[in-house]
Amino acid sequence: MTPQPALAILRAQAVHLGFHRPVLGPLSLEVPTGARWALTGPNGIGKSLLLKAVTGQARIHGGTLELGPSTRVSLLAQDHSRRDPWPLCGHDWFRAMGAAAPGQPRVQALLNRRLDRLSGGQWQLLRLAAALHSGIHQRPQERLILLDEPANHLDAEVRGDAVELIATLPTDATLVMTSHDDDFLRAVGAENHPLTDYLNAR
Amino acid sequence: MLGDLLFLPFVAGLLITVVLALAGAGLFLRGSVWQALALGQWAATGGVLASVFHWPVLPVALALGAGVMALLQRSPDRERLPLAVFLAGLAAVTLLAANFAQASLAAAAWAEGQLYFAGPRELWAVVALGLASLALAPGLYRVWRHAQLAPDVPATPAPLAWLRLTEIGWLVAAVVLGSMVLGLPAALATLLLPAWGAAYLARNLRGLFLWTQAIALTGFLIAWSLSLPLDQPFAPVLVLVNIALAVVARLLATRRTP
Repeated sequence: MTPQPALAILRAQAVHLGFHRPVLGPLSLEVPTGARWALTGPNGIGKSLLLKAVTGQARIHGGTLELGPSTRVSLLAQDHSRRDPWPLCGHDWFRAMGAAAPGQPRVQALLNRRLDRLSGGQWQLLRLAAALHSGIHQRPQERLILLDEPANHLDAEVRGDAVELIATLPTDATLVMTSHDDDFLRAVGAENHPLTDYLNAR
Repeated sequence: MLGDLLFLPFVAGLLITVVLALAGAGLFLRGSVWQALALGQWAATGGVLASVFHWPVLPVALALGAGVMALLQRSPDRERLPLAVFLAGLAAVTLLAANFAQASLAAAAWAEGQLYFAGPRELWAVVALGLASLALAPGLYRVWRHAQLAPDVPATPAPLAWLRLTEIGWLVAAVVLGSMVLGLPAALATLLLPAWGAAYLARNLRGLFLWTQAIALTGFLIAWSLSLPLDQPFAPVLVLVNIALAVVARLLATRRTP
């Protein structure tokens, strides 16, 4: 008996993506459930646009972009500027993301602190932890986690924690990320998938 | 201190202060303070317009306020468009007041505030809005908390469209009724300043709501106890008191944070 191929949690068929007008496509790809994908390629090729289209923040101008049944998507955006003042604490952020805070001491230490008083690295770590644990009550195979440049802003102090958070994700959950940081991608065990390999593909 | 004549205005003022403070915290979280300015000005425009045509004030003010909010919600511009809409409302009131005697009186009433003359009709309207606010508070909280996340996206579902529309309708009602009862400047001062001061003092989201209520109620009580014995209009006194409290809150927060 041949092993069953993993079902796709995300499938794009000749899809054209953009905001007011299409700027990416035709793009065709299938992300298997439980995959750890790193979408790579030069700046401006459309990696972030694809992630935004999956969450409905960018428009589909043609073709199809489908999620597996009951799939819930969380996204860590490339940047999240903080207002000043911003009277939210780490606990508030996890509640808003529908996430349970992980037990990691460095994340736990941020929960009672105001978000506008965290360093850039601490803020990125907190957001990453919340994105990874959002929808934690969902079945792992129904979770698609999108991380747009998760290694941005991570200083040496919190980088190891970020890698550990990603490494402890349930194996059935699917992770698609973009990054230019090859060391980080190797550390989290992500497979490289150049986006250009899926452009103009039928 | 509270004669029979002033009991209703005091209770109406206190209750609308609680509602406006809640709305102010929400507007702060939505980053929509300019929208409040435009909305309040057009509520006043509606009130002045109603006085010219002898229409009932509240429905006209609500209708214009809702129209303005619908327009502002359609645009991502959170500053220039609301400011332009505010200026248009100001111009409309000025023109009405220049051309109709009754409009001039109504405009003065909206600017100075008519709290001392609030009667059972205003009180019941405020009580109804207060009860609606209590019932809606968990949903409003959810909408405002979710509004903090973008551009990040949670795996949990976003608040449903009906809840987001209800929140907008509730904000319109709070600003319109607040402007009617306290006067436009006092309502705006209650909406904007306590939440601004509280944002520096609060340790978390819950703290923002509690501090906002504490500052707003303190401001109302101080303004009430100053304006009556000094025989001054309530609205400008409340504005000045709220500015002073917001500055004190800011200074306290600066001292507390190393």
